[in-house]
Amino acid sequence: MEVETAQEDLKPAPGQLASSPFINKIVAPGDIVLDLAQLSIPTLRLGGGLRQDQDLVIATKAGRLKYIKPNKIWVEGSQKRYIPSLEDVVIGFVVDRRSESFTVDIGGPVHGSLSIFLFEGATRRNIPNLQAGSVLYMRVVKAHRDMTPELSCVDATGKASGFGHLKNGYVFQCSTGLARALLSRPTCPVLEALGKSLSFEIAVGLNGRVWVNAASVSTIILVSNAIMNAEFLSAAQQQLMVQKLLQRVQES
Amino acid sequence: MALEFISPEGLRLDGRRPAEIRQLRANLGVIDKADGSATFEMGNTKVIAAVYGPHEVQNRSQQLLDQALVKCEYSMANFSTGDRRRKQKGDRRSVEISLVIRQSMEAAIMTHLLPRTQIDIFVHVLQADGGTRSACINAASLALADAGIPMRDIVASCASGYLNNTPLLDLNYLEDSGGGPDVTIALLPKLDKITLLQMDAKLPLEMFEKVFELGNKGCVAIANYMRNVLLENTKDLAFARGVVKV
Repeated sequence: MEVETAQEDLKPAPGQLASSPFINKIVAPGDIVLDLAQLSIPTLRLGGGLRQDQDLVIATKAGRLKYIKPNKIWVEGSQKRYIPSLEDVVIGFVVDRRSESFTVDIGGPVHGSLSIFLFEGATRRNIPNLQAGSVLYMRVVKAHRDMTPELSCVDATGKASGFGHLKNGYVFQCSTGLARALLSRPTCPVLEALGKSLSFEIAVGLNGRVWVNAASVSTIILVSNAIMNAEFLSAAQQQLMVQKLLQRVQES
Repeated sequence: MALEFISPEGLRLDGRRPAEIRQLRANLGVIDKADGSATFEMGNTKVIAAVYGPHEVQNRSQQLLDQALVKCEYSMANFSTGDRRRKQKGDRRSVEISLVIRQSMEAAIMTHLLPRTQIDIFVHVLQADGGTRSACINAASLALADAGIPMRDIVASCASGYLNNTPLLDLNYLEDSGGGPDVTIALLPKLDKITLLQMDAKLPLEMFEKVFELGNKGCVAIANYMRNVLLENTKDLAFARGVVKV
């Protein structure tokens, strides 16, 4: 699959959404992606990075135009700063502790708030003991531009299912694009290569924070370095880079 | 005797034709710490821009409830001009240029999507050879796009002037100080809207129209270049992420 950039003179085509010449192409702000007047679909769902101006759908940020059947399109880019959106999994640090909630830094424009009851088995008597600086793995349950983002440490059924306090370990920052690649399926080549020869725990937040834990500090350092290096490498290069790192550790 | 700005062969002092822009060069993501950054070169003019944000508003009293607060700071390096001199921050010229850059970027940013936040734009002139405000707008525009801030369009800017009875595009320092008018335009190319138009001299209307038309064309050419740089950079990032299989 070859990524192509959208040509300057490319025009939205009539007919089905899937046949749009912009799908899977890289677009820039201001590009007219779709002309709804020429489109023969009843409803269209626009995601991030797109806006509608009368009959035209226009990109507002640089990235790849993604499409999911039957009618969802959005622009996916790689940024350094995170903007919260619904159902994202994020890693945050506790900043403040209030009577009913924790204030959590999730790397967005504003701090998020996490209710003390949104932990598995939490009651008024049994409040999780988190201090400022604690690392949490959460999901975003409310994201609206006029409100502080609301977070939760339980899934929809009230179970922890992986969310919660991340004890020990090491957290580092990467771009949102790399974080998305680490979470995507099939497994990211760098994680695949690391997983074959090392045992470690990892949690990836879509806000570009990655938490790594392992039995030995050297493993944590190796895994973190490998992931940070992987940002600008292709699949084959990633495997090679991991092998080199492993060799260096075994020699010393 | 007044300086000959155009030779009998129709070439300018630096060898360009009247309707020719200087060589452009742009790089994205040049500052590690910033959320978005870019350098932009137009010939010998070189500027660097950094964007921080959207983040929480530093001064609560300035917070806007329905849109983002955009701040811009323009500065020149001491070594950017021919004679090295120490300029203090906040002189009239840099305050004015900060203002025009802010206004032309604010017109492109979809500020209503990011209420109660602040976006900081810093532009620094590394090398000045005329057209610094155009170069700054172009650099700021690319830096904003790099930061992923929602924009209606890429803003492109270009200057044009009128010397020796000829409209000239993209003036350099010598031409800029030739005493003729200097028209700076910033354009939203896809929407075909002007976000900045400045002129600091008098010019008859029919000549102004020619100069304006020329400047407009220059903006479109620069916008095309900027768009290509941005697309290439985004493509590199997509490739790097392993989205693309070769």
